[in-house]
Amino acid sequence: MQDARLRLLTVIILSVASFMSVAGAVAAFFWWMIFTPGIRTITRSPFALFFLGFTASVSALIWFTGGDGISYLVRMAVILLLAFYAYSERAPGEFLDLAVWLFGRKLGFDTGLAAEMSLQGMEVLSDEIRRIRVAFQLKSLKPGFRSIIPAAGLLIHSQFARAEEQADLLAVRGYRGGGMVCPEFTRAKGDFPAFLSAILPLILAIMPVGDIFILLQ
Amino acid sequence: MELEFMDVLVERDRFLIRGSGRFTPGTHLVSGRVGSGKTTLAMIAAGLGKPDRGSVRRQGIGSAMLSMQFPEQHLTGSTLESEIASWHLDPDPVLALAGLSGREKDDPFSLSRGELKRLHLACIFSHPFDLLILDEPFSALDCREKMATADRIGSIRAGITIIFTHENQHLPRVDHLWEIREGALVSLGGVPEALVGWKNKPAVLAELHKRGVYPKNLSTADILEAACRTHD
Repeated sequence: MQDARLRLLTVIILSVASFMSVAGAVAAFFWWMIFTPGIRTITRSPFALFFLGFTASVSALIWFTGGDGISYLVRMAVILLLAFYAYSERAPGEFLDLAVWLFGRKLGFDTGLAAEMSLQGMEVLSDEIRRIRVAFQLKSLKPGFRSIIPAAGLLIHSQFARAEEQADLLAVRGYRGGGMVCPEFTRAKGDFPAFLSAILPLILAIMPVGDIFILLQ
Repeated sequence: MELEFMDVLVERDRFLIRGSGRFTPGTHLVSGRVGSGKTTLAMIAAGLGKPDRGSVRRQGIGSAMLSMQFPEQHLTGSTLESEIASWHLDPDPVLALAGLSGREKDDPFSLSRGELKRLHLACIFSHPFDLLILDEPFSALDCREKMATADRIGSIRAGITIIFTHENQHLPRVDHLWEIREGALVSLGGVPEALVGWKNKPAVLAELHKRGVYPKNLSTADILEAACRTHD
């Protein structure tokens, strides 16, 4: 899906559908299977397996304590799959375009800039984690509980240092809030059908499945 | 002891680097322009990267180390003391070697990149390695430190030392010269014979070449000796 506006709206609709009911989540999962690169969106994100594993652990805990862990697992897993899809499809500068298109050159620009910088920060963070792993490997150090604290300290420190440098850079370039951007969006042939198809899971989530069959009769 | 690149090829979009050759004990200089693929080859030589085609064969190499271009890429400690300890070294002599005595409790990020590079190189040079790969060891250093680093590299007598660099002013004495030309790693042979065929040689060497003078090696002392020889 190339049009960032349609993609965002689609992901919001599908996330709401998934959150509301298991039927909505299952339908959203089918949408994910049909309209996205599927499993490749997970492999592109270094944190995907961690978050999916964490969700599975929480679901197991809910199930053991007598709650509906299966429902939680299905709904949250689909929401995560949609999030990984949205993350893997984004292009640099897209959030800035989107925010300016939505909220204008003052609030929109500031929100978009913050979103872009946060996403950039996430990429830097995954690079930093990779770097620390290599450093441990080169020094023949075994990553373990003891190494988590200094490693986390280094990550936080480098993020703060980067934030400070970026703030200085923005100030030097004369940034005082707001800015000029002319948003541009491209749309592929399949974007609109994919967006329209995303409404079905929402209908399924809002209306009980039985009612839909009654309506069809 | 030997490291061999066997028809190694790495391809990324428009970038392509290929190479074959044997690195035997001694000091090897791999020269290449910025973006020519030096870091890619260094990572592959260190076993931290995989080529798309071909392989790297190691024989008789026990310990190996890659010194990455940016010293902060090696950091795992939150103080200079713990950083040096992470290299399994005693902090005091290393701090003295790096010119940072008395700063053992300092945060590594409070150092300038040049100071951090000095500390990192001091850790690297305090260990003997069978294979030592130095990716841009002179970056972030001033002239004096570049010369000191070149001397330290030149004084390594054991194992295989490979220097990947675009530096062309301050270099150590080397045994073998390599050059990256149009996406290919080319072995130019032993020094000084190899200096004749060095395509992107340093300006001072090119000038001496014009006069028909060749230094015995690449250290500052060798270049000065050759330059003075022209006045005889």
